[in-house]
This record gives sequence, C-alpha cells and structure tokens, in this order.
Amino acid sequence: MSREYATNDWYPVADAARMIPGHGFTTRLLGEPLEVSGSFENPVVTARDGRMLPVQVRYGHVWTTTGSAPRPLFDIAEADETDRTFVPCGAVQVRCSPLRAVENFLDIAHFPFVHTGILGEEPHTQVAPYKVEIREDADEVWATQIGFHQPQAAKSATEAIETRYEYRVPAPTTAVLYKTCPPKPEAWDVIAIFVQPVAEDMCIAWPWMALYDDVSPYADLVQFQQEIFLQDRSILENQKPTLLPLDPRMEIPTRCDLTSVVYRRWLKRKGATYGALTTAA
Amino acid sequence: MTFTLYNYVLSGNCYKIRLMAALLGVEYETVAVDFYPGMEHRSPQMLSLNPAGTLPVLTAGDLVLTETQAMLTWMATSFDTSGTWFPAGDPALLGVVQQWLGFSGRLTQSAGLARLHSMLDWPVDGQAACAAAVKDLRILERHLTDRVLEGGLWIAGETPTIADVACFPYVALSPDAGLEHDAYPAIRNWLYAIRGLPGFVAMPGIHYRHEGTSGTNG
Amino acid sequence: MTSVAVGLSRDLAAKRVMRAEVQGYDIAVWRDENGGLHAWNNRCPHRGMRLSHGFVRDGHLACLYHGWHFRKDGGCAYIPAHPELEPPETISATVFSITENAGVIWVSATDTAKAPAEDGEWEPLRSLSFACPPEKVRHAIENTPFAGQLPERAASGHLTAGSTALLVHCAPLGDAETLAHLLVAAGTSLAGRKALSRWCETARESAEAGPA
Repeated sequence: MSREYATNDWYPVADAARMIPGHGFTTRLLGEPLEVSGSFENPVVTARDGRMLPVQVRYGHVWTTTGSAPRPLFDIAEADETDRTFVPCGAVQVRCSPLRAVENFLDIAHFPFVHTGILGEEPHTQVAPYKVEIREDADEVWATQIGFHQPQAAKSATEAIETRYEYRVPAPTTAVLYKTCPPKPEAWDVIAIFVQPVAEDMCIAWPWMALYDDVSPYADLVQFQQEIFLQDRSILENQKPTLLPLDPRMEIPTRCDLTSVVYRRWLKRKGATYGALTTAA
Repeated sequence: MTFTLYNYVLSGNCYKIRLMAALLGVEYETVAVDFYPGMEHRSPQMLSLNPAGTLPVLTAGDLVLTETQAMLTWMATSFDTSGTWFPAGDPALLGVVQQWLGFSGRLTQSAGLARLHSMLDWPVDGQAACAAAVKDLRILERHLTDRVLEGGLWIAGETPTIADVACFPYVALSPDAGLEHDAYPAIRNWLYAIRGLPGFVAMPGIHYRHEGTSGTNG
Repeated sequence: MTSVAVGLSRDLAAKRVMRAEVQGYDIAVWRDENGGLHAWNNRCPHRGMRLSHGFVRDGHLACLYHGWHFRKDGGCAYIPAHPELEPPETISATVFSITENAGVIWVSATDTAKAPAEDGEWEPLRSLSFACPPEKVRHAIENTPFAGQLPERAASGHLTAGSTALLVHCAPLGDAETLAHLLVAAGTSLAGRKALSRWCETARESAEAGPA
C-alpha cells in the first residue's frame, strides 16, 4: 500500500483535447486533488496546498509528479519518429487498481474471450512459450518472442495473421506494446497504456499509439483502440479483490502468465505497492 | 450498398443500428466519427449533416436520418422480409412497440448518461443520472416480469421487435456505470435471450455468450 | 436458519449463471444442462474475475476472462491457453452448498443448505429489489393493503392478500438492498398475479419512503 514509491513517478493528467485555455479542471492523483490549467504547450499543475508541481509534455500527454526526488520519465524512442501517426485515445475511468489495468494490458490469453474476432478467436487459444526478463540496467520488465493468431491485429490488417508482440513495463503504471505492423513488416507499431492512479482502487487509463498507417482514417484508429480497451474495462471492474494481490497464493498463474508473474515480483521487490495487496486476504 | 452509418464504436445508440443490421443480415458502410476525444460530431461537416450534433446519422441516397427510432423503423420496413421486427399489421402490438421505442429515449438520458459520466467523466450529474436509471430499470423489469407471467419473453408479442433492439444497449451497458443486473431477473433473462439471437454482434461492455466453440453464440 | 434464498427456480434456467450474496460472500450461482444447481465463491482462482460473468459449456462453468473451465466439483478441467495441459488438482473454485425446494433456490456459505419444507403448491411470482433492509421490507409488505384490506399474516413468510396465499422470502443484497422472493398459491389467475405484482411495488414505495 506504499504511496512513498509511487510519489516519485511521473503520471499523465491530461491530453491536448483536455487542455482548453481558460477552462482548468480538477483531477486526482494518488488520492489527492490536483488543479490542471494553462495550455497543452504550457500546462500548470497545482497541488491542494497551492504548490506548483513539475510538469512535462511528452507522448501526447501532460505529465506531473508529486514527489521530492522524481525518477526520470521513461523514454519511448518511437515518439521521435515523425513519419508515425500519433494517436492519443482519450481518458477512460476504471474502478480498479492501476496495477490491475497494467497487468491486463500485458496479458494475451484473454484475447479469444474478451476481444473475440479482433485480437483472438477460438480455437486459436494456445499461448506458445515466450521470454520474460527484468532488464536490471534499465529497471524494466520485458516480455519478448510472443506470437499469437489474430483475426484483426490492427485497423490496417486485412486478414488474420500470426502477430508478433513485445511488451515493456518501464514504470509500474505504464505498459508499452511493440506489435507487428501489418503495412510495414520491418517496423513495430507502438501501443502504450499510461495509467493515472487516481487512488489505489480507481484509475484513469490514457491509451496512446504511434503507428505506421497511412490508409485508415484517424477516427478509425482511435476507435479501434477504444473498442479494445473498453472491452477490458468490463473485466477490470469485476476482478476481486480490486487491488492487485502480490501474495502468489491468492491467484494461481499458469505458464502463459509469466509476464504477470514477473511484473508482480518486480513490483514487490521495488516496493511499488500502491494499488497492490501485499498480504493474503 | 444499402446505407451508410456515421458511427462511434462506444455509443449505445450507434450500436442499436449495428445490432439491427446484424440481426437482419444487412451489409452497410460505416464512417467513423471521433466523438471522444475528438468531438467530431460537432464539426462543421457533421453539423451540416445533422444540426442536432448527435450520433448516429444514417444516410441512404437522399435520405438522412438522425433519430435512432426512425432508423430502426426504416431498416425493419426496408429489409425485414418476415415482417415481425416492425409489426405494422397489428395496431395493438404496434402501439406497444412504439411505447417502448419512446422509453428507449429515456434510457439514453438516464442509463446512457450515467455510463458516460462513469466511463469518460462526462460533465453531468452522475448521481442524478444513476437514480433516473434505477427508476427506468425498475419500469422495464416490471414490464418484462408481466411478460414472463403471461408466458412471454420479448417486450411486445411472440417475437423480438425493434423495441427490444432499442431498449437493449443502455440496459445491457448499465454495469458500466456500476448499475448491476443482479436485482432484475426478468431483465437478466431478456438480455441473455437477445445475446443469443442469430446474427447477434457484441460491443465493448456486452460480451458474446461463448457457449458454443464457435466463439460467439454457437 | 443459515441458508439464504437467492432466487426463484423459474428465473435460473439451464446453462445460466447469476450473482448472489450470501452471508457476506459474493456467489456465482449456475445451473448445468441437466438442471443441477451449483453455488461457488464468485472468483476465478486464476485472476479473481467474477465467475458470474462466465458461461456454461460442456457441463462446465467457464470464466469469461481466459475461458478456464471448471467441473461441477469446482476443479479446473481445461485451460485454453494450454490445451494439452492437465490442470493441477490444486486449481479449484470454492464450492458452497445449494438446494432448491418449492420454487426457491437456497444457498449456505457456512454449512449444508436447507430449504424450509412448504405445504401446498406454489408458483413463482417475482423477485423484487427494495432499496432498504429486510426488516423494513417485511414491515411494509405486512402493512400495505391489498384490495383495501391488510394482508393476514400466518407463519413466518406466509401471508394472505385478498384471497391469495403468498410466500415471501427476504435476503439482503449488499448493504443497502433487499431482494424479496415472492410466490403465490398455485392456480392464481394471471390477473390475480399481476395485481399482486402491483401490490408489492406499492409496498416497495412505502418501504423506501421515510428514513433509511
């Protein structure tokens, strides 16, 4: 339940669409209210005690942190590739732990049942072995060599393909997916979920994409990702307990859950337990 | 092509049209409108098509429809060869269908708004919308319970009609706003029956039944 | 009485799943293809997903999240991500005791579920939710006139409204709600059953009025 670790990470609190000059708004971060105002280029984030918090604008979002010794915001190199289409997908509020939202994003075995006909389909349910590691130098979780049969892997996909995936967890509340790009096989599409921890049991997810797709209308790209994430929302709000259990006896994993197992272990080791249940209930 | 739907994937009202088309087996084209976060339904181009600034919009040749009840009526009378989805020949039955089409508009303003507030932090009074939604769920539960006592299942008559399609989305999606169906057995069984109709399509928040190995309804 | 009425038999057909609350437990109640009833802790042992959102296939209850199948004894039968894998015995849903009698389903989270013996023939009327505790529901039902007359109260849960015998079982749903399961004497006319359905809605109005 530690807030201490969490306060020194950066979190998204707005995208460009939310930042309307003259129309500041209130949001919440780690259980505390924040005032967001200014413009997308020059945002101002104020804590309840009137303190102006540090801000930076990256990856289509306004980021802030409340801690006294913030760790640097992770780097997504593809954000600087100007021939990509950058797609912020808005904010979706979910009554679940921010960590549950990230863990679900790292999971592929649910595709045939939750994203039926898009990211998965029976009888193609099998998850082949893949590799997961904690990259100690960067302090990140990486899952690589993942493959899965997908009926419609992206808006740009015209037929079912065997999609390749790599997952990266650069911070406890962020997951980045590198995925086969149907029109440009030598490159990866980048799909990230930036999670704003509103409280331990409530979060706002800000999906964001950096794609190679010159064909699909922009609105189609946004809706493709929103459709996927909102399918997950109805799962996330029905997982009990609401917090993510770190005691391995509380939820039994199987082989395909290796990313989740390592993610939970990594959180526990770091003490990144805001939104987690650290003892068996 | 039969018609074009200006569509937003998370909209329960757009889903009514997608569901009706799927149940009738009608092919159509879609134009994605970035309702959120883009607010594209308020763009000059969309406002010139529909000055009310709402979604969905349906066009077929020169015909432009902006109200879902009108679209459902037009679709059923144009494409339903069985004549059961819009029972034009039975005045009493048609009256009941129209009654619940009207009610479906209430659901948009109650359960629909409660969902937008809960999901996208829409600037409306979430508590008031939830209270109104509970009232509407109770009204529908009362009617469907009467239907069960009569030996029926659907909103009107012996077969599903456009009234079932019109009322289905925002009732099925009410758990998105934290309004569960546990206390409404007649609604629960009615939702389950609609999810089992041939051709049924899902939307985010409404899942396939998955009972057969085909992955959807099977 | 440690058993709790969770619903009317009529309202849970074969291959259906519903959610209930019993003695503070969240419960998934499901009926298999042979009509058999099952009450489980409403949590998939894998990732905590509510099993009441699941589906019945091949005589198993399957979780909506990853499609894990569970046998009628609760044991995990199949993990779709690893079709060749024999799931370990240790993976199991927690099973509670369930029974049904006279058209009502009863669950106990602490011991063997028992349904009260009922004389006479009963038909289901409806399960109705009240936004108040069970005591207020019982009080309102006993004090709401039907056709101008107060119902007559007999044994626990037994009433006579007009000339119709009624059976009422109340169970809490969450902290603030009550589900009342109502049955009427067999043979009550359709008009009579609808009138009683209206009457219990009137009782709800009065139960929910006033301080909580």
